Amino acid sequence: MAEPGEWTGTIGRVVLGATKGEGGTRSVQYCIGGSRDLPFLPDEAPCGRRPLIALEICDDPALWPAVVKEYIGALADDPAAWAREAERTFGADLVRLHLTSTHRRQAPDLDTVGKTVEAVLAATTLPLIIEGSGDPALDSEVFRRCGEAGAGERLLLGTAEADRYRSIAAAALAYGHAVIAQSPIDINLAKQMNILLREIGVPADRIVIDPYTGALGYGFEYSYSVMERIRYAALMGDTDLAMPVLSAAPDSLTVKEVRDAPPAERQERALSWEFHAAFPAAVAGADIVCVRHPLSVKRLRDACAALTPGGKGTPVQGGG
Amino acid sequence: MALKALDIYKLLPKKNCKECGFPTCLTFAMKLASGKADPDTCPYLDEATKHLLKGATRPPIRRVKIGVGERSFAIGEEIVLFRHDKSFVHPPGILFQVPDLQTAEEIRRVASRVKDEVFPRVGELLRVNGIAIRNDSGSPETFGKAVRVVEETAEFPEVLIAGSPASMEAALAECGNYRPLIHAATAENHGAMCALAKRSGAPLVVKARGIDALQELAATCEAAGVQDLVLDPAPETTCEFLQTATMIRRMALARTAPELGYPVYLDATVPGREEATLSLGILKYASVIVTTPREPASLLPALTLRQNIYTDPQKPIQMTPGIYRVNNPAPGDPLLLTVNFSLTYFTLLGYLESSRIPCFLLLVDTEGFSVLTAVASGKLNENLIRDSLQRFGVEAETGHRILVLPGYAAPLSGRVEEATGWKVLVGPRDAAEVPEFLEQSWKKAAPGGSPGPAPGP
Repeated sequence: MAEPGEWTGTIGRVVLGATKGEGGTRSVQYCIGGSRDLPFLPDEAPCGRRPLIALEICDDPALWPAVVKEYIGALADDPAAWAREAERTFGADLVRLHLTSTHRRQAPDLDTVGKTVEAVLAATTLPLIIEGSGDPALDSEVFRRCGEAGAGERLLLGTAEADRYRSIAAAALAYGHAVIAQSPIDINLAKQMNILLREIGVPADRIVIDPYTGALGYGFEYSYSVMERIRYAALMGDTDLAMPVLSAAPDSLTVKEVRDAPPAERQERALSWEFHAAFPAAVAGADIVCVRHPLSVKRLRDACAALTPGGKGTPVQGGG
Repeated sequence: MALKALDIYKLLPKKNCKECGFPTCLTFAMKLASGKADPDTCPYLDEATKHLLKGATRPPIRRVKIGVGERSFAIGEEIVLFRHDKSFVHPPGILFQVPDLQTAEEIRRVASRVKDEVFPRVGELLRVNGIAIRNDSGSPETFGKAVRVVEETAEFPEVLIAGSPASMEAALAECGNYRPLIHAATAENHGAMCALAKRSGAPLVVKARGIDALQELAATCEAAGVQDLVLDPAPETTCEFLQTATMIRRMALARTAPELGYPVYLDATVPGREEATLSLGILKYASVIVTTPREPASLLPALTLRQNIYTDPQKPIQMTPGIYRVNNPAPGDPLLLTVNFSLTYFTLLGYLESSRIPCFLLLVDTEGFSVLTAVASGKLNENLIRDSLQRFGVEAETGHRILVLPGYAAPLSGRVEEATGWKVLVGPRDAAEVPEFLEQSWKKAAPGGSPGPAPGP
């Protein structure tokens, strides 16, 4: 067990979002990573750090959690308006757009996909995470359109997996974006995924690790431990794991305990269920934590503020 | 620091007299090194050597038991900093706090919740462990009365929170025989509190802000003869708790400070942001956590987090392999294959039950591996599937020979068809999409749709 100050590794930095000065249109740029101790210990990061909170939205809410649709009403059918509220009302640091319209059985209209990305970019000034189709047959075209629509904005594109990463990597390299590298709750597979991306030319400072997060009560403990192991390995000097980490537990709001909750209790239980996976992910070292319920953003932000000395803490901004 | 058996052996008399109960001094040394013997049983050691050996051979974090009877719980005995290094051992006790100024009725209401409220989850019962009664009134009489109200309601572990020894004495008069946790000995009152702890045999919290002060006070209470201590680092912020508790755990495990080798106490009501503090305490080294009486909607997720974090990472929770019937299926209804990893099963079951689609689930024995890891490691293969179909007499139940494989097992589908002679359908990867898949693809695949008459073999 290394003591504080004895670690040999540092978590690499990744820059997200481009302001006018950097050739984009975002109002803020984030530089994540840079930690050099276990999360929230005194020596962790030279300039203080708190995780960024991303609110997830989508362009086809058919399979989106019912508790979110009930809360946001008509926004669910208007990704641009939804993204605008994520910034103005809900207080997110990032917007993560899932292109769920591409998950439909019939072939999606790819022109519409590109237009949606443009509309969301125009509606919010926050840096964006964009999730592609999840279907290798569509990926290449979807990522090309996303990449193109967001050229110069330093998007974070998701999600590269072991059997489909070439087209996302190509889009990231062609248009200057970063990528999410996902592996199924396994430190060795996480490492392998990063090596695969590096081999085809994606530099380490464009990779964010997503170790996959199971919902609370449904495998969350495996994800929690994998995040701790990744941070530990990186601090011990493993550069193939020394990237920032993103955590999203997409099933938090649809688990049985939320679906079956008494109606009067459902929203609070949903929020608390999402919180008790999102906050522990931050404690385990996630640099970006994604949530789906708008009310989770502030709740999580307050909680994370409690972890930084003096209770304040701000994202590290600017600089590349 | 911890001593190895040979280092300990060098300090022993090497007489092999057997008076300690072990055949040789070397055996005794090995038992001492693993914490399974007491240096006092050797009659030939001088006091200085005994003291040295006690520091080096006791468990890094002492076991402390709180309460008596069925609801009592043990804490301490932790051996790692990260759960992935081995496992966390004793889940922290979570106790609801009530001020003694509340009416008897209010106190009784909280006590009844602690007594009766229980959440069954994946085969376990989740519940709050007890009640912490706080002497806000400052009056020994009021404090004693409040404790009596709790005692009348039920037997479960209590924390008695009072700075005044007179109040503590009044409370102990009500429940002193039931091993309540006394909170707390401080720099001002430790003499009297130690005396009360010794007289009642109850465990004692030592409260001081900062590692150095805590270490010193714990040593003083140890020297006064109290063995069952719990440490309260009295953090002013959540961040301070994380940093101090991590330091205490590290120093205790490294045995650099034997006075810190005790479980840690966290009052989550103090630093504000109670939900975050409670969650953090579960993750990072609290063994007793006191909170306000939280509503079930936010209590259940916290208890679930505790259940997750204290699950042994090396033993996946497994289901018994076999056929499981969901929503009263009849012959001709769909058959889905999955693995016997309990989380996979419960996740899938949740979606299937709410879809109300009758179906059969065939759980094959992957030794608790998930679908993805079982496919990757080769544990889930066509032979296991063929043998399972035969062993559990599946065809007699389903009346058809169509098997739905999980999406992640798609690469096996050809080989499974060959090995079993069954028709294979590949389902989605995500359990949430299984009901829709059954509505659409199964109806196309099964002659006559589903539910419907069984196709011939």
